[in-house]
Amino acid sequence: MNLPFDVSRLKASAAAMKDSIAKGAEELKQQGFDKKVHDFWYGKPHGERRLGDLYAGKTGLYKHREWRGVKDTMYYFYMIWLYNYITMVMDLMKYGGLVNFAKGVWRYRWVGQTYLPVLHWFDRGLEGLRGPALAASAWHYRGMVNSTIKQFQRMFEADTRLHGGEKNEAYWHTIAHNETVWGGVFYPWSDKFANVALEMIPYFVTCHVNSHTVLNYIDAVQSIGLPGDPCPMCQAEAGIFVQDDVPDYAPFAIICNEACDASVATSNLQDWFFDKPIYALPMPMLFDDPLVKKHCMAEIRQMWKFIEDQTGVPFNYEQLVKKLKLQNELQEFEWEKWDVAANTESYPINGVAQALYRIYQSQYGDNDIWHFCDKKVRKIMEKAVERKTKTFPNTRHRVIAWSCAPLYYSNWCTWAYNCWGLNVIINMDSLMFNMTIRTDNLENTVEDMAQYHMWAPMRRMAVGGMKHMFELWEYMEKFNCDMVAMYDQLQCKGVQGLHGLFEDEFRDRDIKAFWIPHALPDSRTVSRAEIRRLINDYMTTVMHEEPLDPSLLEFDDSMTW
Amino acid sequence: MKDLKHLIFFEDLLQEANNDLVKQGKADGKRAIGYTCFFMPEVLLDLPGCFSVRLRAPRCTSPDIATYYMSARTCHYARSLLERALEGGYNFLDAQMATETCTATCRFQEHLQQKHLDTVKDMRIIENDDFFVEFSDVPFKKDAISIDHYAEQLRFHVLQPLHEHFGIDISDEALREAIEQQNEVSRLIREIGDYRKLDNPTITGYEFHVIQLVSLVCPKYLILPYLRETAEELKTREPDLKKEFRCKVVLSGSENDDPDFTKLIESCGARVVADRYCYGSQETRQIIEIREGEDPLRAVARHYLEQSICPRFMDQHEMRARKKRLADLCKEYHADGLIVASNKFCEYWSYERVIDTVIMQRDFGIPVCSIEKEYINAASGQLRTRFQAFIESVEIKHIQKGAQS
Amino acid sequence: MKKLLCKGLGKLLKIFLLANIALFVVFFFDLDGKLMFYVVEPFLKKHYDNMERKDTMKSPYDIDKFPKYEYDE
Repeated sequence: MNLPFDVSRLKASAAAMKDSIAKGAEELKQQGFDKKVHDFWYGKPHGERRLGDLYAGKTGLYKHREWRGVKDTMYYFYMIWLYNYITMVMDLMKYGGLVNFAKGVWRYRWVGQTYLPVLHWFDRGLEGLRGPALAASAWHYRGMVNSTIKQFQRMFEADTRLHGGEKNEAYWHTIAHNETVWGGVFYPWSDKFANVALEMIPYFVTCHVNSHTVLNYIDAVQSIGLPGDPCPMCQAEAGIFVQDDVPDYAPFAIICNEACDASVATSNLQDWFFDKPIYALPMPMLFDDPLVKKHCMAEIRQMWKFIEDQTGVPFNYEQLVKKLKLQNELQEFEWEKWDVAANTESYPINGVAQALYRIYQSQYGDNDIWHFCDKKVRKIMEKAVERKTKTFPNTRHRVIAWSCAPLYYSNWCTWAYNCWGLNVIINMDSLMFNMTIRTDNLENTVEDMAQYHMWAPMRRMAVGGMKHMFELWEYMEKFNCDMVAMYDQLQCKGVQGLHGLFEDEFRDRDIKAFWIPHALPDSRTVSRAEIRRLINDYMTTVMHEEPLDPSLLEFDDSMTW
Repeated sequence: MKDLKHLIFFEDLLQEANNDLVKQGKADGKRAIGYTCFFMPEVLLDLPGCFSVRLRAPRCTSPDIATYYMSARTCHYARSLLERALEGGYNFLDAQMATETCTATCRFQEHLQQKHLDTVKDMRIIENDDFFVEFSDVPFKKDAISIDHYAEQLRFHVLQPLHEHFGIDISDEALREAIEQQNEVSRLIREIGDYRKLDNPTITGYEFHVIQLVSLVCPKYLILPYLRETAEELKTREPDLKKEFRCKVVLSGSENDDPDFTKLIESCGARVVADRYCYGSQETRQIIEIREGEDPLRAVARHYLEQSICPRFMDQHEMRARKKRLADLCKEYHADGLIVASNKFCEYWSYERVIDTVIMQRDFGIPVCSIEKEYINAASGQLRTRFQAFIESVEIKHIQKGAQS
Repeated sequence: MKKLLCKGLGKLLKIFLLANIALFVVFFFDLDGKLMFYVVEPFLKKHYDNMERKDTMKSPYDIDKFPKYEYDE
């Protein structure tokens, strides 16, 4: 029988499982009983974990998942693994149903190939965590999963391709937009319409969960003649259209210039294949200039008129205010989190959870799940602060991560903590939206909304003058960091254009900084192993430090999701 | 054809940014104002008391220090400019009027900026105590609010700083004077360029490219006499009896200030009859019209937004309309084909080139040669092969068309 | 009746415990991951690779299809 999978691999995996059981029994014999009981109950101490030994081959799968002690393992099993599997199914049923989901999986590569192994994304991000850090970080993941399901289910519900070409109610009540158009600009219609970004789910989130998927789209756009050097994020965003893998879920779209020249240019290809009314809502470049803000306000107003024109539904200021107030609550809690992160050792959110949740939440805008998760996180965080729990007890360096992160290896910071004690406290993407929005009158509201819109992801520190990029020093001090992880997106012209100045400044200021070269979603340009090697080299040759977990120094995860 | 009288002089002017006419302009007590992008209207920098210089870095093949600062993965043009600046090649500049219209040139201009910030060191690249850099925001759309915004930007970030720093007269009368001067340059360049529409053009693409470039990099009042004389000379210039080319092409694409690139195309058997690229004449040399009741600054702002077919524009209507404008250009200049060339690492044109390659052929029936090039073209052998193959294919199409009719 | 109830509850408890153990085994030995990696993903990949897709390069590109979207201030 011709099976679509390799049986020998399954057998090898079963053998590895057997080996690991045998190894455990052998260890039990060799070590003292008391120590074994202690490790069983509390989990092994950091230096003895050897997390690298858990990986099976190049796959990144686990021979067995980590034993974190009884309490944390059971927490992981029930409150993370089982809870999330169950809530994922419930979310699917709640937002559009299982039939829609099945149709979507069958039709679209990005959902089928990506979202099924979502629990592995949790595993990779939460490796080695204990106690409040494990719990709070996992709640962040839960928020992102819910929001993602909500969006792709809306896409499938409205998608004419999955419904025999029919344009149903959901179709007429969905607004499509580029992923960096802040969801807040659609609040005035949020009681009647859903807004779903064209690329957030098919592209951005997939890269984190399963980095293999996006490669199809990058290859697709290059196959029509695009050179390989433009930003690979934009390539992928265009490639989804080239591969005809974007659901037809909305009658019009709002586009923007996202972060860069390539994003502007991508709009050309997207317009061609989307072939529906499109309104451009660009973010002006020089956002410090009050005149620029004035222009941006006018453009937002024009865009609202376009939506009124397309939908026939008038602008609703009360609804806008209601949603903005809710969003402001999220921002206020984020400030509280930053305060704890900056001034205590009890901040319970790890680098990857902080980065992904914050960029997702601040870009998407208000959503019930963010409030739900923030409430859970607040409880954990307040308890940790009250008890002065050291949430990352083996921190050797407090790291600030700057510029754009590798999407295929956003969990590098989890590895860096486990291997070297590098604790990523905060990152640039988290700090981009640093404001609440006034709701006292329309003029003030639009003014603040324009500011928020201009501070779009990857732009707030990247355009509008190089001084913004060098806000790094200010935040480094504010968050009490002693080291910089400098992302080096090889195809980002904006960051590449400042490479030498950063080198000079690091040297002149005697700042410990290591570079992380990458190509955003494209794991083929700089592999995860190469990123680890560069950090290892820095930590040994410059910092002269020993790894906390030597098993994590070198391992092959080339086939990992 | 008989050689143009001033061609060698013009070619010499293109050998360095600080050329003889720029030196003369400075000696006349005028301020030299640098810029890189079409969206910094040169007419505003040519007000009485100053003159515009569109920056180039001729013969810069190895921008080593700039590559340290901007890495090897950014546009070669921007890096070459920075290299030339670091070498001291732009020390004659009194100001740089900058735009954030493409990332790489923006970063180049930010390196020139005297920052006076705690956050990053001041490199003091331009050794001129008067020197300053001022950025203007350029909108991505052409609607009325964008024109108003652009006009406001130009007032606050170009005119006012010029007045404050150098006492330049920025009155409406001065603006009208500058517009008139620029319009004369444009009329002459268009007149010269129109000879390319002839069945057997009396000017080569290379010659025109050189003439267009000198009009961008020299003080207008100093180059004008030479342009007038050249226009006069062309009125009686006789073409070669036998055509020296096998087909006519329009050259479109990203930044191109290298006349040798045009020469390379023509040496393969094509005649470049129209130039739609940054530094080309199609957009820069249109007549600025001041409408009734319109103030001259708004007229300038409207003109520069409306004339441009840069891929930076994002209005849906505009994204599509520019394909038609390119097709019309091919028709107007009786071109047999289109060469779309984008500089390596130019993101705008990487995409635009892909779309043009498909749409111009499929929907307008215009043969397209799509290439990627460097700022200074070291790989001329490969390009030559591409151009020769393209020209042959256009010729074959001609023959087949002839046989059918 | 009480005995029957106890028996029923005992059975339920047993099923609950067995289900917990089975799920824990799946969790601990990453059997969900292995199933996805070795079975589900290759199967779906094959499906997507063999799917018939529209040739998007043939999509129309009507120059005048959409108007200028400009509104009075």
